[in-house]
Amino acid sequence: MSNRRLPRLLQTPAVILLLIWMLVPLSMTLYFSFIRYVLNSLSRPEWTSPSLSNWRGFGNYNFVLNNKDFLLAIQNSLVIVCSILFLTVIFGILIAVLINKAFPGRGIVRVLLISPFFVMPAVNAVLWINMILDPVLGLQGIAVESINDVIDGLRTAPVVGGFFNLWPQIEPISFRATQTSAIAVIIMVTWQWTPFAVLIFMTSLQSEDQQQKEAAILDGASTWSMFRFLTLPHLGRPIAIVVMIQAIFHLSLYAEIEIVSRGNGNKNLPYLIGEFANNNIGAASATGIFAVILANIVAIFLLRMVGKTLME
Amino acid sequence: MGSIVLEQVTKSFGETQVIPPLDLTIEDGEFAVFVGPSGCGKSTLLRLIAGLEDTTSGRVLIDGADMTEVSPSKRGLSMVFQTYALYPHMTVRKNIAFPMRMAGMSEAEQEKRIMAAAESLNLTDYLDRKPGQLSGGQRQRVAIGRAIVRDPSAFLFDEPLSNLDAALRVGMRIEITEMHARMKTTMIYVTHDQVEAMTMADKIVVLQAGVIEQVGSPLDLYHTPRNLFVAGFIGSPKMNFIEGPEADQRGATTVGIRPEHIDVVEGPGEGIWSGTVGVAEHLGSDTFFHIHETGLAETMTVRAVGNVALRHGDAIHLRPREAEMHRFDAEGLRMS
Repeated sequence: MSNRRLPRLLQTPAVILLLIWMLVPLSMTLYFSFIRYVLNSLSRPEWTSPSLSNWRGFGNYNFVLNNKDFLLAIQNSLVIVCSILFLTVIFGILIAVLINKAFPGRGIVRVLLISPFFVMPAVNAVLWINMILDPVLGLQGIAVESINDVIDGLRTAPVVGGFFNLWPQIEPISFRATQTSAIAVIIMVTWQWTPFAVLIFMTSLQSEDQQQKEAAILDGASTWSMFRFLTLPHLGRPIAIVVMIQAIFHLSLYAEIEIVSRGNGNKNLPYLIGEFANNNIGAASATGIFAVILANIVAIFLLRMVGKTLME
Repeated sequence: MGSIVLEQVTKSFGETQVIPPLDLTIEDGEFAVFVGPSGCGKSTLLRLIAGLEDTTSGRVLIDGADMTEVSPSKRGLSMVFQTYALYPHMTVRKNIAFPMRMAGMSEAEQEKRIMAAAESLNLTDYLDRKPGQLSGGQRQRVAIGRAIVRDPSAFLFDEPLSNLDAALRVGMRIEITEMHARMKTTMIYVTHDQVEAMTMADKIVVLQAGVIEQVGSPLDLYHTPRNLFVAGFIGSPKMNFIEGPEADQRGATTVGIRPEHIDVVEGPGEGIWSGTVGVAEHLGSDTFFHIHETGLAETMTVRAVGNVALRHGDAIHLRPREAEMHRFDAEGLRMS
């Protein structure tokens, strides 16, 4: 086995570097989460530098658990991630199947479809919330106003006027509001990440066996049956990959939440950490540990799912 | 029941006509083999019959009914593909059940047919496996099983054995032939391998560039090839073609003689050809000599029965059997 010693020796620096990379931030977070550590305090200046003499035990965890925003943040993290995953996979499959057929201009359409993915997240959020979703100046405001104008015009029309008189004015939705800001984030991130799903599914569809489809045609399968029994199982693995990668990215969403509502009514765990980190590093670290736990739970579920599709 | 008739069928891809007007009749219960070099249109012809390609003009009749515009699944035909085309996510059982499931057949009837098919194809132990866990030969059997359960009026085979290794191919060849003998269903089999064509067919259809060169039983084609192409394509090793004085002497432009119709004799003489042995392939039962410098053709192939002790570079003397000589005119057509 001595001939394997040299390769292992050569690998060691890289492995050690990776370990440090991972372990140092994690252990520092753990350490900070068990002490009192704030950036600024006039009454207790001794808390402003990390030290074991400021030991707080599970106090920070208790503080975070009792924070009114904590449950909201966990719930929001999950709602946002799951909604985006669901929507991008559905849209991704539909669009990929649609553009898999040959048609003139397919190359251009594909490039255009991929382009949202190259927009920076913060820019994406600014564009959506100000230019599209804004209830007055955005496309939404303009559209709602125009529809209301059309209906107003029809109220005085003969015959059908009575019918349109029953219609109420449509109110535009304010996506910066407490109840709707999460929806705005879901819409814009779905728009941005659907191309990623399309790209992966499209490549996968191109490797689909054409003879299988012909066999299915002869076997009397309808277009739906072929999609259900051939294409969907064929896409199982890419779906798992898309879900896995996106879950990792969307658990740490921050820019969109900050820009849409500054966390008003719509915090996720990273945003909560950011808020605590303005001063209370101890609480921020404790929240970070909760985020790690949540990410691991999600990862276990996803790995199970991926594993299952790979086994099939 | 399953007679298949093609009437003036043509097929064009854009400007290129790959199948010029073509007529062909395949009787009910016949084993017909389409054979020809690659690109001769034999697979296209099969796909036209299956309905996977639309005919450009002409009619396809199955059991006397015009099926030209009927969708592939309604033609009552089953097809076995070269790449097996099994559904990789389904077990063998589900693969075989798929056409019946699509047809909405009852579970009990499905199960009965699956078991019958599995029994006859030796697949009973593999029903719960996925195609990926099977060998090439087993996958091919599953594909055949999926074709059988539909109870089709005819089977279409598109080069089904070309992905198998040589030993397995011989085995499957016999299995399919036996299956035909048992079921007596019409079968159309596409291959580029003339040995498969000769051993399996009731009727061979030799194609070249979309044109039918000859239709007939294997021995018809062997004994009376209609033209030079068929003469050269059917039979292994290939027929020897001789032009020049030897042909003129027999009143033909080209004469052909098969390797097995030339005898190796001692010493030169009247009507005897002489040459030098090139490669000698000793198979034990037969010996194939590739002979050069005969002054007749560049290389002549001769089959001698048993082991003939002639080596590379030896002189060899040959006497052709005049009765087995094929004569062809300037157009390459057979002269009776």
